[in-house]
Amino acid sequence: MAEPILQLRNVHKRFGKLEVLKGVDLDVNKGEVICILGPSGSGKSTLLRCVNLLAPPEEGEIFLEGQDICKGPGSGTGESSWNLDFVRQRVGMVFQQFNLFPHKTALENVTLAPMKVLGKSRAEAEEKGRALLERVGLGDRLGQYPETLSGGQQQRVAIARALAMEPHVMLFDEVTSALDPELVKEVLDTMRELAEEGMTMLVVTHEIGFAREVGDQVVFMDGGVVVEQGDPAAVLDNPREERTQRFLGLVLER
Amino acid sequence: MSVFFEQYFDFHVMGEHFWEVLEAFLQNLLIWVAALILVLIWGLILAFLRQLPGKGFAPIRFLTIAYIDVFRAIPCLVVILLISGGVPFLTFLPKGVRIPEWFGKPDPFWYGVASLLLVFGAYMAEVYRAGIEAVPKGQMEAARSLGMSHTQAMRHIILPQAVTKVPAPMLNESISLLKETTLVSFIAFGESVLVSREILAERLNSSALILTAFFFLVIILPLARLVDYLIKRNQTKVTRGTHIEVA
Repeated sequence: MAEPILQLRNVHKRFGKLEVLKGVDLDVNKGEVICILGPSGSGKSTLLRCVNLLAPPEEGEIFLEGQDICKGPGSGTGESSWNLDFVRQRVGMVFQQFNLFPHKTALENVTLAPMKVLGKSRAEAEEKGRALLERVGLGDRLGQYPETLSGGQQQRVAIARALAMEPHVMLFDEVTSALDPELVKEVLDTMRELAEEGMTMLVVTHEIGFAREVGDQVVFMDGGVVVEQGDPAAVLDNPREERTQRFLGLVLER
Repeated sequence: MSVFFEQYFDFHVMGEHFWEVLEAFLQNLLIWVAALILVLIWGLILAFLRQLPGKGFAPIRFLTIAYIDVFRAIPCLVVILLISGGVPFLTFLPKGVRIPEWFGKPDPFWYGVASLLLVFGAYMAEVYRAGIEAVPKGQMEAARSLGMSHTQAMRHIILPQAVTKVPAPMLNESISLLKETTLVSFIAFGESVLVSREILAERLNSSALILTAFFFLVIILPLARLVDYLIKRNQTKVTRGTHIEVA
């Protein structure tokens, strides 16, 4: 039944002398939601950046739908290579700081890439964009600029923007960390709906409740390696590793 | 004191030569407009080349940085003299380039425009660069994660935001450019300083030069006020924590 979509094998990432990922293995099946927890500096965000090649790994292999994206034809030049197009058309990403384009309206944020990258017509892109913004509950905000939207609304536009590229995998990098507490729920609800629709998701988060409820697997990272991984209930309620216990103790104390 | 006023503010001399100096000043404005349009484009191209990513583009980045450094270091007048005194003799160039007389303007006009373009293109590239670097890094990442190429991201996302962050320094460079158009007087182009100096030599009176200075003031003072206004507006926007809106 389980169909692998993403496999990481011994992934290493260095920034100069600093080794941020020290050999990470991870298997993701189609439709799974993987929640990645861990203290800051543990390499969670870097792992996501490796997967969509914003920060290509120096060592190891990443298979996306069976293709080794680190060694695709034309890789190694770093830019405009085959694997970059292959990956970015299949992997969408949502960022902690939203990173909406401030000089574009909500609708323009969503339609720009489909028009410029996929070559869609304006009419086609706008129809899809409207539907997506409708879906994240912002059908009445199409013409507004990001600065006039709340953080939660901006993040939902960012989710719609990523979905417009029809990705097979979505990466969420601490997408609720920059939000005021009362705005967290609307973003998590949007993500929950997305998970229910069968999207494959890698979610770096500090929201333990979300991980427990929506996650198919929880991965705990520390010091650039996966310390513990498994069923959310098992990892969150009965962590085997001491580092996991300590981290969860600190997070759940709040 | 009356000697002072007669030397510098002889209204009789000013009145007699007013139209002559004004007409010459219009030549400064023409050089300015032609050079400025080209400088804005050339500076943008240089800034873009300087930002190209990856190892493959390292030679282009290096050459661009070298160009910018060199032309910011050489006096503008030296460049003007090198261009006007050398290009006519480069026989491998077609005659229309060696001795350009486009749009009914004589060749010193175009040597001046070309020299100012070379020098101020380098300055403007640095202005654009400051603007590009002021755009948060996440903007490029977001654009790239959506599948845009580096060039597409620069064109649609980074540069439109970058230019809105640097209108004040951009205007400052434009003001400098206008003043430097007077250097073209060195290669016998009849702009305001050359004409005023001829009047000075003929009448032994500086009032025509004062008239020239006055014309520059009339154009530049409002621009300087505009720079102040833009800086102030930018600051209030920043303290309110929002961006300048372009659209």
